[in-house]
Amino acid sequence: MPAGSQWQRQDHPFKTLLGLLPAQGGAVRVDEMDLRARARNEIARRVSYVPQAHAAFFPFTVEEVVLMGRTAHLGLFSSPSRRDREAARGAMARMQIEHLAASVYTRISGGERQLTLIARALAQEARVAVMDEPTANLDFGNQVRVLQHIQALARSGIGVLLSTHDPDHAFICADRVAMLHDGRLARLGEPGATITPESLREIYGVEVAVVRVPLGNGKERRVCIPGNTL
Amino acid sequence: MTSARVPAALLGACAALVLLVAVAFAVGRFPVSAGDLASILWSRLTGTEHGLDPTIETVVLRIRGPRVAAALLIGAALAAAGAAYQNMFRNPLVSPDILGVSAGAAVGAVLGIFLSLNVIMIQSLAFAFGLGAVGLVYITANAVRGHDPLLVLVLAGVVVGSLLGACVALMKYLADPYNQLPAITFWLLGSLASASPEDVWSTLPLMLLGLVPMWLLRWRINLLALDDEEARALGVDTGRIRLTVIAAATLMTSASVAISGVIGWIGLVIPHFARMLVGPDFSRLLPTSILLGAAFLLGVDTLARTVARIEIPLGVLTAFVGTPLFLWQLATARKGWQ
Amino acid sequence: MVVDAAGRRIELPARVERVYAAGPPASILVFAVAPDKLIGWTSTWREAERPVIAKKYADLPTLGRLTGRGNTANVEVVLQARPDLIIDYGTVSPTLASLADRVQQQTGIPYLLIGGDFEGMADAIRQIGTVAGEAGRAEELARYAETTVSEISRRVAEVPPARRPRVYYGRGPLGLNTGLAGSISADFIERLGAINVAAELGKGGLVQVSIEQVLRWNPDVVVTIDPNFHAIARVHPTWRELPAIKAGRFHLAPNLPFGWIDFPPSVNRLIGLRWLASILYPDAFPEDLRPIVRDFYARCYHQTPSESQLDQLLRPSSPPA
Repeated sequence: MPAGSQWQRQDHPFKTLLGLLPAQGGAVRVDEMDLRARARNEIARRVSYVPQAHAAFFPFTVEEVVLMGRTAHLGLFSSPSRRDREAARGAMARMQIEHLAASVYTRISGGERQLTLIARALAQEARVAVMDEPTANLDFGNQVRVLQHIQALARSGIGVLLSTHDPDHAFICADRVAMLHDGRLARLGEPGATITPESLREIYGVEVAVVRVPLGNGKERRVCIPGNTL
Repeated sequence: MTSARVPAALLGACAALVLLVAVAFAVGRFPVSAGDLASILWSRLTGTEHGLDPTIETVVLRIRGPRVAAALLIGAALAAAGAAYQNMFRNPLVSPDILGVSAGAAVGAVLGIFLSLNVIMIQSLAFAFGLGAVGLVYITANAVRGHDPLLVLVLAGVVVGSLLGACVALMKYLADPYNQLPAITFWLLGSLASASPEDVWSTLPLMLLGLVPMWLLRWRINLLALDDEEARALGVDTGRIRLTVIAAATLMTSASVAISGVIGWIGLVIPHFARMLVGPDFSRLLPTSILLGAAFLLGVDTLARTVARIEIPLGVLTAFVGTPLFLWQLATARKGWQ
Repeated sequence: MVVDAAGRRIELPARVERVYAAGPPASILVFAVAPDKLIGWTSTWREAERPVIAKKYADLPTLGRLTGRGNTANVEVVLQARPDLIIDYGTVSPTLASLADRVQQQTGIPYLLIGGDFEGMADAIRQIGTVAGEAGRAEELARYAETTVSEISRRVAEVPPARRPRVYYGRGPLGLNTGLAGSISADFIERLGAINVAAELGKGGLVQVSIEQVLRWNPDVVVTIDPNFHAIARVHPTWRELPAIKAGRFHLAPNLPFGWIDFPPSVNRLIGLRWLASILYPDAFPEDLRPIVRDFYARCYHQTPSESQLDQLLRPSSPPA
């Protein structure tokens, strides 16, 4: 499994990667471990999952939600120990949501919930985090915040597999990109080389220009600009 | 609620429960003061004489005592099962009967009455049929693939429960109206009037058999409140935990219904209150529900035998007390569960 | 030591002064044989019923039933009343036997089950007399029961089959519930040598029928214990067309203080049997009922009814159509 982050478009491959759905052919390996025959908590120790932030049913606190990430490391009959609580606190600190520890999960904002779920995945201490459209339904400010945190995560050595419908996200934080179309892998490679007006036309069927924008500090970034009919 | 306050709250609840037990003994046709109660228990423990009227000893050890113990056990069991199910089904409107255990136990007991069997057989049939009904629901739900497992469970429970209800109705129709039908009606309304020491001793191990796994799995039961895929991705074998919870809850509920008949509302309302007090974390919710459920049923049962000259069936009284409580909760509880 | 109807061996106390009757049939039986030993009733008297029995008995407390057919009695209430003996009278089944064992174990009070079949009524009376220490009165009452029944049977036997009426017994407010052959509700029909129209549906308990069914049966006589049905049927567009009802052969059984036929199945049925016999076979049973009723009430309910009470009991139950 490559390090760095990738960009994909459908979630069935996700569920296969998480071992939630059986592979349709071949095998899924994480760190040379075949997922097929593994117990759930063994898989969970290696791969964590960040779903889209949802409304929950019961008023758990943010700290309790993040603690849930420690389950993979707990025995069947165990409850979280002090070590687990420390790991949870550490994860919350990295996501800068420590101040929310005692808040009720159902009453914080969408962006804060998403950060909580990422913290939960962090607390899981898995080497790979699979994120399913984590910026969906977030306002612009929260989108930026979440992407920044994800970027920081990837730089700290955790493999992040992120799915999104916005090609700019790949330009913002991806090392590699996989574009899926009609259930098959259409392109795979570095963002600059993979996301081009041609590939976007093929996959989305729209005219899009890809423009390089200088960022001022000697760096530049590519940006997708919808085509000249607008 | 912070973790520091919880032990204090639980301790307070225990103290309240002990007080309630003392009150339960003190009121009734045969009032037994706390002092007499202590003397009798002491004399049983040490083998000495207590010097009191022997009828009081009979009341304490064979009539009131088993009744109080049964109320505590059954209240605790129903509340615990309700709390676990509400977590598991991610729905605060769920009661332990949702998978048909009470309907099944009713069929068993009514069958026993219909066949004029002795009391032990009636109770055993109720227990067995209660387990069987849930087993049937579980197997049916498992045979249907490709849908949300919880939804399928609930639908199967509704369908099987309905079928079993029709069986009970049929037997009521065919039963002897003088001897059997009143007994059937009475059993379906729920009562602890004839709780005996044997009932208590036979139910206690079943309750423990149900409660212990629930306590051991308390952390994982929290995770059942998440989306199934999310929980599995966090490392929980949701299928097996669910099965264990269902088995444990059914064991406890079936054993309760076999002794007391059908008593509703406790499994639905008590976990709500407990959740409002200590939050949804099952490791706090479970002990709180148990204490509240035990206290509630003991209180209701004490009312049932003291409020009027005749016994009021428990199922009726819990509905009268529970429904307004539930409505009030529904009206004020946006903050409680969302 | 005595063996009861369920085969249970019961150790009786030397003296029995206080008897708790666990259900309505037992109450009536104990009341008839040993009224001063009865400590209470299983349900509260209604106002209309009270005047017919002596006030001191009507004023006995309501203790509830403990028969396992639907306990309303609190065991502690029973214990508090301190009976020497608990008696139940009626159908005996393993369920009831095990419940009796339970109560006996819990309270330490002997619990006696007596079989309630009609043929055994005299024996039941005698057994109560023995255990409650009223052997003399019991013997008298038992003989009365035996004589009454045998006299009725003898006279009925002399009625030729052609003159035996077909009877429909309608229960419930709609009159559409009836007893099949052999059911404890409708067996009085067979006992009187008449024909139960519902017998063609087989043997068993109670069953619901339709008006069309009854019309097809076309009974000679209709009997009921429900005053609502009695009031309605005579004006109901379909019922009133039934020939029996048109002809005025539609009878409401008296029920003070206890029903005369059907429920509860105890000594109260003796007078009902005689009453119905005179309705079905007026030639074979020509005697005026008043002295007979007076005598029965004095013997079994320990109070002679006044003339106005007799009027009330025996008011014509089927006015001319």
